[in-house]
Amino acid sequence: MTVTETRAMLSVDAERSPGGRDRGPARKRRYTEDQVPLGRVLLRMLAGLVVLAIFILPYTIMFFGSVKTKAQIRSVDPTYFPTEWHWENYVNMWSTPETPLPQNLISTIVISVFATLLVLLVALPAAYYTARFRFPGRMVFLFLVIVTQMLQPAVLTSGLFRQFATLGLIDTWAAMIFINAAFNLSFAVWIMHSFFAGIPKEVDEAAQIDGAGRLTVLFRINLPLVWPGIVTAIVFTFVACWNEFAASLVILSTAGNQPLSVALTKFVGQYETSWQYVFGVSIVAIVPVVILFMLIEKRLVGGLTAGSVK
Amino acid sequence: MKKSHRFGAIALAAAATLTLASCGFGGGSSGGDASGKTTLNLLVPSYSDNTQGLWEDVISGFEKANPDIKVELEVQSWDNLESVIATKIQGGEAPDIYNGGPFAGFAADELLYPAKDVVSSDTYSDFQDAFLANAEVDGTAYALPLIASARALFVNNALLEQAGVAAPPTTWDELLDAATKVSALGGGVAGYGMPLGSEEAQAEAAVWLWGGGGSFGDASKITVDDPANLPGAEQIKKMIDAGATQADPGSTNRSPLMDIFVQGKIGMQVGLPPTVGQIEEGNPDLDYSIVPIPTKDGSAFTLGVMDQLMAFKNDDSKKDAITKFFDYYYSADVYVPWVQTEGFLPVTKSGAEALSGEEALKPFLDVLPDAQFYPSTNPKWSATDGAFKSLFGQIQTKSAQDVLTEIQAQADAG
Amino acid sequence: MGNAPGGAARGRPGGRDLAKALPWIAPALALILGVVLFPAGVMFFNSTRDISQSGVDKGSVGFDNYVEVFSFPYFWPIFLRTIVWVVVVVVFTVLISLGIAQILNKAFPGRRIVRLVVIIPWAASVVMTTMVVYYGLEPYFGVINKFLVDVGLIDTPEGYGWTRNPTTAFVWSIVIAIFVSLPFTTYTILAGLATVPSDTIEAAKMDGASPARTYFTVVLPQLRGALSVAVLINIINVFNSLPILKVMTGSIPGYDADTIMTMIFKYIQNQHKVDVASALSVVAFLIVIVIVAVYVKVVKPTREV
Repeated sequence: MTVTETRAMLSVDAERSPGGRDRGPARKRRYTEDQVPLGRVLLRMLAGLVVLAIFILPYTIMFFGSVKTKAQIRSVDPTYFPTEWHWENYVNMWSTPETPLPQNLISTIVISVFATLLVLLVALPAAYYTARFRFPGRMVFLFLVIVTQMLQPAVLTSGLFRQFATLGLIDTWAAMIFINAAFNLSFAVWIMHSFFAGIPKEVDEAAQIDGAGRLTVLFRINLPLVWPGIVTAIVFTFVACWNEFAASLVILSTAGNQPLSVALTKFVGQYETSWQYVFGVSIVAIVPVVILFMLIEKRLVGGLTAGSVK
Repeated sequence: MKKSHRFGAIALAAAATLTLASCGFGGGSSGGDASGKTTLNLLVPSYSDNTQGLWEDVISGFEKANPDIKVELEVQSWDNLESVIATKIQGGEAPDIYNGGPFAGFAADELLYPAKDVVSSDTYSDFQDAFLANAEVDGTAYALPLIASARALFVNNALLEQAGVAAPPTTWDELLDAATKVSALGGGVAGYGMPLGSEEAQAEAAVWLWGGGGSFGDASKITVDDPANLPGAEQIKKMIDAGATQADPGSTNRSPLMDIFVQGKIGMQVGLPPTVGQIEEGNPDLDYSIVPIPTKDGSAFTLGVMDQLMAFKNDDSKKDAITKFFDYYYSADVYVPWVQTEGFLPVTKSGAEALSGEEALKPFLDVLPDAQFYPSTNPKWSATDGAFKSLFGQIQTKSAQDVLTEIQAQADAG
Repeated sequence: MGNAPGGAARGRPGGRDLAKALPWIAPALALILGVVLFPAGVMFFNSTRDISQSGVDKGSVGFDNYVEVFSFPYFWPIFLRTIVWVVVVVVFTVLISLGIAQILNKAFPGRRIVRLVVIIPWAASVVMTTMVVYYGLEPYFGVINKFLVDVGLIDTPEGYGWTRNPTTAFVWSIVIAIFVSLPFTTYTILAGLATVPSDTIEAAKMDGASPARTYFTVVLPQLRGALSVAVLINIINVFNSLPILKVMTGSIPGYDADTIMTMIFKYIQNQHKVDVASALSVVAFLIVIVIVAVYVKVVKPTREV
């Protein structure tokens, strides 16, 4: 494994593009230009294992909880591992009387996907332009954008409700797509802005001398270089939309329109809570995000390699 | 190529759903839709995992009997209920029917129909008078009693026996003695379960303060900072200092503590009708009895709590529909199974009659005549309730007088 | 805000530049202002009104709500605790993330799996992560407490009430806040590391610089852009974070574990004072604007290369 990885890395290294602008090819394995001693690899694995253990621990508790019965979860004599595995919780939770979970999942997906696309569509040009060109009001724009992030969601919901009630959009996905997009736009702009700003201007200039238009420069030259930043912004936005709660709670009132984050609260009764479903639904809600992440993880840290080797 | 195709299909499907969604659910609580139906919005809290299903059954039965009326149900957890209703009212989109606790504030803001206006006289006269009186502001009832509960002391017989306590306590002295003995058993066992955490601090506070002869006030005045409340508050401190309670009573919430009682690690704790069902489900083998709450001098007392239904004045054209809904809901055939499944006490005369033979409810029905209620007809009750939740637990560390003073101040400011 | 779009066409060179910029930034501006402006206005407006418990507007009260905010005896302790909360969480988040990013940036078998696992706290909702830790820390029920009892660190058999005491609950909240902030920060740093040119590092190495020296003189300066934005986002998010403290300290009476955010929540939830909550939100908004303005001024995250 190590040998293959190292060799693969070396071959990438060898293909490094000429011209010195090779910000990409070897960067992620730049400390491993030679054969890495076995001891050091083991040390890295150990460090990786520690990180893995810490990050997975709370979700292991969550997972174990999701396959217990209500009584076992609230047992005063807790066990580290479930004594019985109630996998049926994962089947039953889709048809509980409390909430129509399949619809909640669809709702979450639709809202998150479209809000993220909307963010990408409007944030990308703004981030590119503010990073590349000076114009009066540039800082005002950037600051104005981030100022919207500093408002307290808990207090904004009443205004949001009134606004979307006037627009007749209460209890619609469209309302939540706009709200999510608007409230996550600024971070997306800032993240992408910082990555665009990291590309030397000469790259653009060289391309423009070759007669490329501004859009061509953006899409053909800059975009591949800032993929990690864009992907970070996408993940950031998507995750924020996926877990949004405060606005969904008041805007979406029909059970079937509500996202998973609101659906979860339906398992909390006045005197009893169906913890097994709360935990199970939480696990289910994590999975799509992790899958999305798996699909784009290579882009996130390895995007440049892919881009330049092609 | 393939990719973009697939995306196009998804986008199209989603756009279609979006359109559907906005058509179907667009108008919020606007009067009626194209078909001329009257739409009623119903906002209710979740009592248990049965709640959503129970209301859906009520609604489908009602809609079948009244095809010209459509009822939109929204169920929220208790945690979120009050912020959701406040947001809706601020946005001018109050629900037509709301199930909640404190109502005097809504009545003071003239948002509610008088109860008489939205039920038939038959239904109205079926409510038990004591409950109706608790929904009255200046002689007019603004809310319809929905369910009631009374509290009683749940006693773990086995633990008391093990600790050498012969009979369940009836006075504070006996309670302190019994609880101290049970606590001394060790092994994580606590004598008395005292939940003063934010979840329901006002209830445990009432159990002690009123049991010592105090009160929170009446419809016109909140009197938390009153000498009559001191004995109860001091007794709480005595219990804590004697180690007769579980650790950290000031920040222990009710529900998790009851789970511990159910599993036999707590000698005594105040519970209510649904607790019986919880024991049935969580630990049917538990050897327990239900006795009246011990008081300072052993006199009979229980804390009664009533939740109610309210009808908001949104649009007078809906009044008839609301009346039809209430009359349908409170008919014995609909109401009795509803109350029974949720495990509470009925508030109608016909309901009480139908459930009088219910074994599980008997201990609570027995103490109900001695029930005292929160001053929920006082517009400041909601603020008082909040002040108890966020401040009363400090009695674990602060002096009783200071805590009462602080609560009174916050209640008055509300 | 001197350059309103209206001034764009006046022919000054600056105006022309702005006009050229508009097509690029206008959609973003429209979306943000279209959605956020009204509710933000409502917040400011409500902060000067008397709003009844049920949500009915009873008229203007001037600055009375602000007076109530500042005359609340616990305001300043809460303010200080908020600053401690933000500083401690952000500093530890950045330091730990730099370490984790270094580990994840090196090749080792299984790295992909570790990278995927690191994403989980990000993917999971903060409320749920907090709930699980809360559950683990509960006396009687929690496995974390059980573990501490089993290894002999706690001698009461039911465990210790971590979430029942203001200090321990606050410290655990900080730990959770750091934990959930790590993935985003780590990945931003990783993405930043991806843009560090390898030849610069090689050059440094050839000059005989130690790995540590290379890191501090070559790698870290290159991370500046990504890192400074990550810190900025963390500051705002941590300042505005409510769910962690709400869950962890929710059952504790009094105001000894509150930050401004939980105080806003208590005004709304317990006291039903939307007006005072709005006033405190405006105060919080101004505080975070000052913090961010100072940060932007000092760190200059928008500096061009």
